[in-house]
Amino acid sequence: METFDVVVIGAGPGGYPAAIRAAQLGASVALVEREHLGGACLNWGCIPSKALIHTSSLYAQMRSSANLGLKIESANFDYAAMAERKDQVVRGLRNGVKQLLAANGVKVFEGTASFESRKRIVVNSKSENTVIGAEKTILATGATSSVPAFLPRHERVVESRAFLDLKSAPRSVLVLGGGVIGCEFACMLAQLGVQVTIVEILEDIVAFLDADVRRELRRQMEKTLGIHILTGTSLENISADEHAVRGTAGGEALEADLLLAALGRKPVTQELQLENTGLKTNQQGFIEVDEYGTTQVSTIYAIGDVTGGPQFAHAATSQGLVAAENACTRRRRKNEKLIPYCIFTSPEVGEVGLSEQQAQQKGVEVKTGKFNFGALGKAQAIGHPSGFVKWVADAQTDQLLGAQVVGAHATELIAEAITAIRAELTTTELAQTIHCHPTLAEAWMEAADVLLGEPIHTIAKKKGLGARV
Amino acid sequence: MREGITTMVRPITMPKLGQSEEVGTLVRWRKKVGETVAKGDILFEIETDKALLEVESFSEGTLLKTIVQEGTTVPINTTVGFVGDPGEAVPEIVAQTCRFDSAHGPERQPKGSSRPAALAPTPEARKPELPGVSRETPRPPAPSPTRGHVGAVRPSTLLRAVSGSRTGEPPLHPTPGVMAAPAVFRISPRAAKLARESAINPAPIVGTGPLGRIVERDVKNYLESKGYYQLRITPAAKRLAARENIDILSLLHDPRPPQRITLARVERAITEKPRPMSRIRQVIASRLTESFTTTPHFFVTVAVDMTELVSFRAELKAQGASYTVTDFILKAVAMSLVEFPVVNSTTDGKTIRWHSKVHLGMAVNLEQGLVVPVIRNAEELSLAELHDCASELIAKARAGRLTPDEMGGSTFTISNMGMLDIENFTAIINPGESAILAVSSALKQPAVKDGQIVVRDIMKMTLSSDHRIIDGATAARFANAIKQKLEEISLWKRLT
Repeated sequence: METFDVVVIGAGPGGYPAAIRAAQLGASVALVEREHLGGACLNWGCIPSKALIHTSSLYAQMRSSANLGLKIESANFDYAAMAERKDQVVRGLRNGVKQLLAANGVKVFEGTASFESRKRIVVNSKSENTVIGAEKTILATGATSSVPAFLPRHERVVESRAFLDLKSAPRSVLVLGGGVIGCEFACMLAQLGVQVTIVEILEDIVAFLDADVRRELRRQMEKTLGIHILTGTSLENISADEHAVRGTAGGEALEADLLLAALGRKPVTQELQLENTGLKTNQQGFIEVDEYGTTQVSTIYAIGDVTGGPQFAHAATSQGLVAAENACTRRRRKNEKLIPYCIFTSPEVGEVGLSEQQAQQKGVEVKTGKFNFGALGKAQAIGHPSGFVKWVADAQTDQLLGAQVVGAHATELIAEAITAIRAELTTTELAQTIHCHPTLAEAWMEAADVLLGEPIHTIAKKKGLGARV
Repeated sequence: MREGITTMVRPITMPKLGQSEEVGTLVRWRKKVGETVAKGDILFEIETDKALLEVESFSEGTLLKTIVQEGTTVPINTTVGFVGDPGEAVPEIVAQTCRFDSAHGPERQPKGSSRPAALAPTPEARKPELPGVSRETPRPPAPSPTRGHVGAVRPSTLLRAVSGSRTGEPPLHPTPGVMAAPAVFRISPRAAKLARESAINPAPIVGTGPLGRIVERDVKNYLESKGYYQLRITPAAKRLAARENIDILSLLHDPRPPQRITLARVERAITEKPRPMSRIRQVIASRLTESFTTTPHFFVTVAVDMTELVSFRAELKAQGASYTVTDFILKAVAMSLVEFPVVNSTTDGKTIRWHSKVHLGMAVNLEQGLVVPVIRNAEELSLAELHDCASELIAKARAGRLTPDEMGGSTFTISNMGMLDIENFTAIINPGESAILAVSSALKQPAVKDGQIVVRDIMKMTLSSDHRIIDGATAARFANAIKQKLEEISLWKRLT
């Protein structure tokens, strides 16, 4: 039996960086993966969806490019070609991961891992069973989307993974669930001219977003993209046949080519046989960890979606690195608390730290500063004048506590705010930082000025008495 | 109507709540200026040496003005505010406060301050920066011509609140993370601003300006020499440190110097910052220290078999007569004290004073500290009367309504931790008494009875005695006298 210092189970965006970091720290490392390197993110999530969204976004821009002075006679798209390009991107990146692992000396096992005991793991592949020894284990098995039991089993009813395998675009889609995944696909399809209806049982789409951001996102999805959004209602009387899927929501009869179920993801723990380690999952099926990434069993760590935290690839990566360092060194590092997120809808959204509403709930006295892209030269020049950035800062100490951005390139723009907040910058410091002109990022500086009560490119609500300190 | 007041405006004064009270601290106003006040409404809360109390209004009208700020200590009868009709003119009066600390000689006025001490003192100025600096019993302001006069207070008679470090006495040891202002401190405004913005304590800086005044250059040199400019302090951390008076340089004394000074490090320093204890806590500290260091304590412990008394009590309860275990102990102790007058006495080391009466103190634990209400003439009271008296006092103590007179003059104290699941403990004698009884929990234990090992309710009691007047044998006999009474069920059948 081959024994490793660290065995990582799951080669997603949390698992493979953990394996590489452990190897960098001198450990012998095995990485077990039952499907493809890169996990859901690379193969059936973030990356392939972004490849499709890029094309759909370009297409939408081309169709509305007359006001930019372009004359495009007949813009069209070939969904099969889009899907093929997406697969190429995925294959290329997957190969990159393989090479990185090899270069770092990580031994990859293909198959499904299950515990025989805390330190013995069986890797079950089609051809054979291999037993490996593990001093420390990092569980990075992730989560998976599935079609819930209440939906009919039919080829017209798909979840996100099956949806990405489609080779042609449907004419109309019913999206069940207005969360991140549902909204991203809805925007992508609407940009391609597909008729989209979203049905969300909660009061609003992407309910965890800042209220101002949500209002802007929904406004543009409805007005600009023409997406039909039904919230606070459930989809009932669902049926599917060879012609269409049908259902009713809020008294309205709905019909479409396809139903996309985007109702959250379930942790993957079933085949692990955790009972052989003494580890128990919580009521929702997640593996709970402490702030160092350690489970109830001291030699077993867990990271990413399977732990029930925020389900973002970047959070999993950070947790993977922390777990690998904690497993291989004497230094103990806590998981990062500041987890940003971005959504590739149209318009894009980026958020980090506290929103105004969360600050109120926590009883933190805050000031906010909001700046619309419309007042920014660059935004006008590139024809993306809608959306805004917003800062949330501690009213007492001026510390930046949160930031939100909605609009063009929001997912890139949020990076500055993440760095600023983690570095514990104050609004004053941010306002004094020179930003390149003309850029969209200038909005952060302007919003800081707004918060301090002395904006240059917008009219201050209260005159005089700036709060600059 | 008091002198100097001719309108309907009525002054509110700091009440005298006990024989020994000379000052009171106004802790919190319960009415705001402009609010309507009815007779019996609670106007404000005060804290004396012994308790927190609520002060009710004797008159009605509108609270026109508050003169004494929250957290300020003033002599009794001081005008703290005015009640009257809305819009009425309020007499000019300035806040006065009481000095706690006369031990350090005359107060030094800050250089260049010609103002009479009529500044409203800030709560910070009142709080002693080191526990124990202020005296246990605040001295009355002497002479005290202000008493009974409202609106006619001459500035020269006013006294300012002072804390230990402001009287020229340097702090005994530096308190990490906290800035303490030195006695005579000369610093230029620019230098002070730089120190404030850098979140450092300028006190250790040697000034090179006139009369040793610290100038901006000195602060810069000091920061340079301390390696301040090499520190990586996050902006938010610096802002917080400056706001909370945390000296950034004091954060470097960690065994492992931080790579970067972040908010978390400053927040830790804030939680570690010494805070003044409440008046009650400080008085407890000083009295207990005095007692334990000046009285030679010795201890005897007896184990009382409470089995029969416990079941007798249950029987009584079933008949509708509800007594607590404490009631029986109070009675047994009162009776035993009559038999052993030496235990019910006081000594100063030279003389001994036997008390003719038994005034029983009962230690009651409250959130903010311990209070000891006193049952007067306990030897004259029947078990039922003791029960009523004790439950009334305990209820008042819990409600914070004990008057200082109900908390003084005890001749012997009982501290009962029976409800806290305690095997045994010892108590510290109350100053002015010669013994205290520490009563522990009645626990089911194996005991030998009639040559058999049986399960009994055993309660341990430990008597702490002042060995100057109580000999070991006396203490032993006294403790056993109580034990025998508690175990003798026929006695209780007679007494109930």
